[in-house]
Amino acid sequence: MAHKQLRFLGVVAAAMILTMACGGSSGGPPAKTFKIGLVTDIGGLNDKSFNHLADVGLEKAKTDFKVQGDVKESKSGDDYVPNLTDFATKKYDLVIGVGFLMQEAVGTVSGQFPDIHFAIIDGAGTDAKGVDLKHPNVQSLYFKEQDAGAMVGVMAGWMEKNGKAKKNKHVIGAVGGISIPPVDDYIAGLGVLQQAGQSGVYSIGVDADQKDADPSVIASALKKVDVATYTAIKNVVNNQFQAGALTFSIANEGAGYSVDNFTVPPELQAELDKVLGQIKSGALTPPADIPA
Amino acid sequence: MPPIVRRLAGGLAMPFGSVVFAFAVGALIVGATGANPFSAYAGLLCGGLGIGCTQGENPALEISNTIVFAIPLITTGVAVALPFRAGLFNIGAEGQLLVGSMACTAIGIKFNTLPSPILLPMVLLGGMAAGAVWAGIPGVLKATVGAHEVVTTIMLNYIAQWLLRFLIIGGPLQLGPGTSKSLPIGEGAHLATVLPVDNALIIFGLPASVYRVHTGLLIALAAAALFAFLLWRTSFGYEIRAVGQSQKAARYAGVSVRRTIILTMLIAGAFSGLAGAVQIAGVDHNLTDKYFTDTTGFDAIAVALLGLGSAVGIVLAAVLFGALHAGGAIMQSDAGISSNLVLVLQALILFSIAANFVGAIRRGLPLGRAPAALPPELPPAAGLMSEATAPPPEPT
Repeated sequence: MAHKQLRFLGVVAAAMILTMACGGSSGGPPAKTFKIGLVTDIGGLNDKSFNHLADVGLEKAKTDFKVQGDVKESKSGDDYVPNLTDFATKKYDLVIGVGFLMQEAVGTVSGQFPDIHFAIIDGAGTDAKGVDLKHPNVQSLYFKEQDAGAMVGVMAGWMEKNGKAKKNKHVIGAVGGISIPPVDDYIAGLGVLQQAGQSGVYSIGVDADQKDADPSVIASALKKVDVATYTAIKNVVNNQFQAGALTFSIANEGAGYSVDNFTVPPELQAELDKVLGQIKSGALTPPADIPA
Repeated sequence: MPPIVRRLAGGLAMPFGSVVFAFAVGALIVGATGANPFSAYAGLLCGGLGIGCTQGENPALEISNTIVFAIPLITTGVAVALPFRAGLFNIGAEGQLLVGSMACTAIGIKFNTLPSPILLPMVLLGGMAAGAVWAGIPGVLKATVGAHEVVTTIMLNYIAQWLLRFLIIGGPLQLGPGTSKSLPIGEGAHLATVLPVDNALIIFGLPASVYRVHTGLLIALAAAALFAFLLWRTSFGYEIRAVGQSQKAARYAGVSVRRTIILTMLIAGAFSGLAGAVQIAGVDHNLTDKYFTDTTGFDAIAVALLGLGSAVGIVLAAVLFGALHAGGAIMQSDAGISSNLVLVLQALILFSIAANFVGAIRRGLPLGRAPAALPPELPPAAGLMSEATAPPPEPT
């Protein structure tokens, strides 16, 4: 009987050796490098949005600077604190939390590790009541969503006014996921330049380029989380970390729009360029709040 | 081999075999993707148990995280295992946990000025009561009209999840406009952590506040002990097991099947509700959107099965799952392997138990007795196989 067990073990061992032979070993360069830790929210790295873009920014930083970038995907909200804490205990030079949902966790952990620098996309380090703790080691990376929303708003409004939308129902709808401030800012920006709208035959994505989400997506309003992440890392590498809010907008190339499954008519392009220029120069300021 | 050793080895073959199977297949999967399975498992071992850490992890912190994750799994594992013994499949531990956490939070907010000796028992008992009600509904339905508890408990999970959404997004517990979480519960409702919440006190090289192990651990272990006592040392436990073996035989022996089903579900729900309340009181201190995607009550099914429905087994299985959970993130940052591997491993463990590979292998091994004799008390997925009919009418 025993030889059967042995044979089974042998098969397992052989399989292990085979897999070992295929696997490569990876190791970072031994020289002193900046260690950057990225903690995603529960969307994971393939969310086609924030987490993905943050990782893109991290990868770009890895090619440009001497940076070791490590990622932890949070499987549930229970993971935010342990994931942030792990990077902090290992004395990472910058720990980045992706997204509003991580505010309280960043607030807690940044208080425990005052010597570690933290950055959080779209949020701040807060207490349980959502009050910014203003820890001197936390940088908030915000976006002027209204800038990006205004650009796609121009597009939607122009198309509707000029009869380019597929149905002329004169309705533009905005669907907000949850009523959190970043979402409201978008809707505010989208609403400003429209008298009329479209009936949902064309759609417009937000946050990341949503071109692949659906053929009806003609444009996306972009929050360039990759630019924000890259900038935060660059600041740490250059020893220029600053606590408090750092806001990304059209003016500093941290927000914008992309044209997706659609060819922009020259007149619309001219209109878009005009508005973009106006926002950049400050001649036009999209409002931050939805009119009541 | 002495009979006692043989029996013990026979009983342990299934859970251990399942775990070994899962890790072996997991290693093949990791290897097939071109990564090193040994570094993956080294990462898991470090992150889960604090053993063999090479990249500056703090072993005490890793163990602390594992325990924090294991605590709700122990209590909900018991809440699945108890109905199993009565032949009922409680898929509703998640919903029961959620209503427990909601009740705990609501009470903790409403009476937030009360002192701890009064408020803490209130929130814990409130959570238990809410969970008991949530599980009692399927129990009563099963005992009276024969509605299958698998269906009713799943449906009640959805109701609990949407109730939670209502409460913290636009509902009465919402912190404020634009948030998707509740107000924090009063200080008096907090379960104490084992170490003081102090950023200045350094223990094992880190601020004491990073170790989140809380006294809910004792509550969870007490729940497991109570479960074992109830099942094996009381006449009610005997009735539960009798009903689980054969409703007809139990009735013939004078056991009220309906009463047993309803009481079993009530107690199970109280355990789940307690798990939710302890999670709020011990760790989170408020309800957040993370509970929308919480899977503790579903993982508990795997924990109960892997633990063979015994108290010690459930505690061990919960620690394993907690370690996998805690270890996944370390594995990802240290070895560069997606922490999704942990979900694959959990699924493989469950799959192996369900498919009963080990039973098949054991027939060819010297440990073997007939598979039917193996664990005699707990037919896997017993509830699924039970008839979806009302119990026979009680003799009056």
